[in-house]
Amino acid sequence: MPFPHDPILHALGLGVVLASALLGVTSYFIWFERRFAGRMQGRVGPKHVGWEGLLQPVADAFKLLLKEDIVPRAADKPLFHLAPLLAVFVALLGLAVVPLASGLVIADLDVGVLFFLAAGAMTVLPTWIAGWASNNKYALIGGMRAVAQSVAYGVPMVFGALVPVIFAGSMNLSEIVAAQAGGHWFLWWPPGPGFLAGGIFLMASLAEGNRIPFDIPEAESELVSGVSTEYTGMKFGMFYLAEYVHSLVGSALFVTLFLGGPDGPGPDAMALQVVWFALKTMAVATFILWIRWTFVRLRSDQLMTLCWKWLLPAGLVVLMVAAVWARFVPGGAA
Amino acid sequence: MSIVKPCLDALRITFRHLGRKPSTVMHPFQPRTRAARWRQTFALVHDEHGEEACIGCKKCEKICPSEVITVVMAKKRESPATGQKRGWADDFTLDLTACIVCELCVQVCPVDAIVMCRAPTPPGGAREDLFLTMARLYTNEHALPRAPITGTSLIASHSPAEDVAQ
Repeated sequence: MPFPHDPILHALGLGVVLASALLGVTSYFIWFERRFAGRMQGRVGPKHVGWEGLLQPVADAFKLLLKEDIVPRAADKPLFHLAPLLAVFVALLGLAVVPLASGLVIADLDVGVLFFLAAGAMTVLPTWIAGWASNNKYALIGGMRAVAQSVAYGVPMVFGALVPVIFAGSMNLSEIVAAQAGGHWFLWWPPGPGFLAGGIFLMASLAEGNRIPFDIPEAESELVSGVSTEYTGMKFGMFYLAEYVHSLVGSALFVTLFLGGPDGPGPDAMALQVVWFALKTMAVATFILWIRWTFVRLRSDQLMTLCWKWLLPAGLVVLMVAAVWARFVPGGAA
Repeated sequence: MSIVKPCLDALRITFRHLGRKPSTVMHPFQPRTRAARWRQTFALVHDEHGEEACIGCKKCEKICPSEVITVVMAKKRESPATGQKRGWADDFTLDLTACIVCELCVQVCPVDAIVMCRAPTPPGGAREDLFLTMARLYTNEHALPRAPITGTSLIASHSPAEDVAQ
């Protein structure tokens, strides 16, 4: 254990270190996304601030900090100030239960999956608070869309996450990781249900995080900037940051549930495990970027159709198949 | 399920672009070639006798879609060079702030008096720089390289000498 044995101090210390590291990674992830998206669109992306644009996140942060902080006169002020803080907090919350290596986890909860899903479902709260408190019709419509979307996509997300839980026989993320040891990652073993569940989970977590192609709460072509319309300066920056943090933490959970977490070839050292975990998370996050910069935004009704008519029945079927497999196939469940 | 193939196609296309060279030209840092037909600001020119070519016919003023050209027509009088009576313009102004650079004024000019220039730099940064007075238009004639397109050449290319049987 790199930190004191007192569990609260341990969790606090690790939490501070991991949250700071994640925020640092996030700002460079934004730089990476801009370069990546640039190449996909035949552009260059940021490359002038610092070597190959590596200081761009710093410049952006300074720009946002120096901007005027405007609060609309008719806004619900306490809630208006609360929403961006809550957005970052809720986005970081999910990190608490994700094991980065065996033993390296802030809170090794027995209901880890439940905790993560609850934290993910809470992202709708700051979004709706921002939509309501801005006292702006576009923000309000964006907030309402976010609520409809998050409530809907929470359900298939749960079904997707339940498949690894059934296979591992536990909601503890460390035990789910242990059940996948040796390359028996749930994405392809057992063949079929894990892969489908992974797809459903990934789509639903994209929708929970309001990422393109599910970003109708922000839909800049119809809603100005949706819930963040009235936000300026660093408050807007925090919403922006929260979206990326949510995307990275969602990728981390996907890796934990379906890609064996820190499992990988090589000696059983903690540092190597962290490296494997980080590499897998970045691969999933890059895949999400690829999706984001390929597809157009879904219409509101198409979004609901996809969720209630396709993902939800598919999730139920996959869950049933997984349950049957775990019960009747010898060695199907841990 | 017909949506799966287009989705995969789209992902393939964006992935293929990742390996391609960006089409961006980093302009201030990299030289950028201009097309041979590239042109921007305007000039009024003198004819072969060294007189102001503009006859003040107001055709350009009438055709200008954004109405930025103002021509003040003068009385017809004899040309000192040829001795023949012809029209003159007392004043000619062109406001580039609202000009859409459609070149219709050049195309309509019957005496090739107004032409476009291949200026190496933008015509100006301040508002006053963008208001072309008659004096500035005549300064541009010699100060800037001239584009080869003139009204009569365009009119000729649009109306062949002989009608073609359908």
